[in-house]
Amino acid sequence: MPEIVVSKPGLQTTVQDLGRPTHQIDGFPSSGSMDRLASRLANVLVGNKDNAAVLEFSLLGGDLIFTTTTFIAFTGGDFPLKVNGQSISANRAFQIHQNDHLWIGPCRQGRYGYLAIAGGIVEPTVMDSRATTVRIGIGGHHGRALMSGDHLPIKTVYTLPAFAHRLAEPLTLPTSAQTLKVRVVKGPQWTKFEKSAQQQFLSQTYQLSSQTDRMGYRLSGKPLKTGVANMLSEATVLGGIQISANGQPIVLLADRQTTGGYPIIAVIISADLRVFVQCRDQQRIQFELVSLEAAQKALLTAHHRLDDLQAHFFNQRFKLPIEKTRSAAQRIQKLF
Amino acid sequence: MTVYRIIPVGDQALSIEFANKIDAQVNRRIQSLGKTILAAQLTGVQAVIPAYHTLMVTFDGLNQTYKQLVQELQPIIDVGIAAPLPLQRILKIPVCYESPFNPDLADVAEFAGTTTQEVIRLHTQQPYLIYFLGFLPGFAYMASVVDKIAMPRLTKPRVEIPAGSVGIAGIQTGFYPVTSPGGWRLIGQTPLTLYDADHPEPFYHAGDLVQFEPISKTQFEKIKAADQAGRYKVKVVQKNA
Repeated sequence: MPEIVVSKPGLQTTVQDLGRPTHQIDGFPSSGSMDRLASRLANVLVGNKDNAAVLEFSLLGGDLIFTTTTFIAFTGGDFPLKVNGQSISANRAFQIHQNDHLWIGPCRQGRYGYLAIAGGIVEPTVMDSRATTVRIGIGGHHGRALMSGDHLPIKTVYTLPAFAHRLAEPLTLPTSAQTLKVRVVKGPQWTKFEKSAQQQFLSQTYQLSSQTDRMGYRLSGKPLKTGVANMLSEATVLGGIQISANGQPIVLLADRQTTGGYPIIAVIISADLRVFVQCRDQQRIQFELVSLEAAQKALLTAHHRLDDLQAHFFNQRFKLPIEKTRSAAQRIQKLF
Repeated sequence: MTVYRIIPVGDQALSIEFANKIDAQVNRRIQSLGKTILAAQLTGVQAVIPAYHTLMVTFDGLNQTYKQLVQELQPIIDVGIAAPLPLQRILKIPVCYESPFNPDLADVAEFAGTTTQEVIRLHTQQPYLIYFLGFLPGFAYMASVVDKIAMPRLTKPRVEIPAGSVGIAGIQTGFYPVTSPGGWRLIGQTPLTLYDADHPEPFYHAGDLVQFEPISKTQFEKIKAADQAGRYKVKVVQKNA
């Protein structure tokens, strides 16, 4: 059975995909990759479907040994990578051979890194998804973060069309020197806040606290007057900015509870959520209010870039350079 | 006439909001609307998540826009809120109200100014609607207990509550599917396994009715053994709309 053997697991490394949103009705967190665009890019680079399971690394990398030939790609946060001691580049497809040793170092910029493997990680699905929700112990590899000695089932893959063309620009990451602008749309309880509180929310600079996990990120700033008492619980939304009783915001993320009773002042637009989740503690953040139309356009733009990349790989599949593993394609090439 | 409004919740979800109160009829309408919306298979619609008075609909922003989806939803909602409500299931859940499963039963009796026997009778006399599941997988928000026993939650929550515990928090009642912290007044415990990580999907859903049935400690042990061996079947009764 082709596998990845985990030699060193890293800090909080989990199997993730697009999550199980349809089971929120039964109280299950949606979960899935924190940086959706990065995990999609990793999958696109190795020719996978968007919902293929990837490994999500948080701050620290790990050591992995492959028992088979396949292709990998690493995206998202800036982690140093080595195969058998030789540095390799992120954001491009790389061919792995049997017994290769992949070392992923500590993250230099950003927070979450994604390793896609051709064919995906083929753990059994739990309620339509391979995403791990550590908090309730379901999905992924036995419902938990990886440990030394774990074996992850993968597939043997000998060829990858347009292999040499499969590279992409790195995705944007926040820098601690600059205040990050994060675009938001008005949340369902926006109007429940006084004008002065709305203005304060949009004008002040927040700082990311050290209380950050897959459930949510706490921010700190001058407390807002909430003005909403005894709200009935409602469904929560990815990227929702909840103002807690102490007036401080919590941004609700992949592993959030499915329902909550605190007012949501604004929601981070889908296109900007990935940069937000890549922020380190102490990152300065300012929110900028945009229209729903602008939010939708930004999301389409981000994903169209990946659609174009996918189309480009498809178009390049018979063009030079053709990798040595595709001997048939090389012979066809010689005919012309 | 049922009044509702639709508002965007971020760029990939919307909320259908009804009157801001805990009302069984409104919530049953929400549950049936959720099913109708999923059955309509509208472009880009991903999931529905009901709560007391709201129904969230999430969608894929790459294939659908808020404006377009509202237009497609409006006629479905307008027909849906006028349609007859579907049949409901009543699930009979056995509960042992004896010590050591009932740490707060005496307090609830004192709050109600009555006997513990009367509290048990009041708690088991009627079925409760599951308004929605949330907080934890399989945690059902059920209501409403009679005002007399609607004791507010503990001021200082317990650090650890055993799985299966049945409690009261104001007009809400419910059971803890897994061992967790919590502030509900605990009056009993069900021997049933409510959450199993190997088969995580609950056997009850939002919109179902739950009626508690008092059992003795001996029955508790028997049912627990049968349930763990996979031999216990929860009693289900159909109720007319």
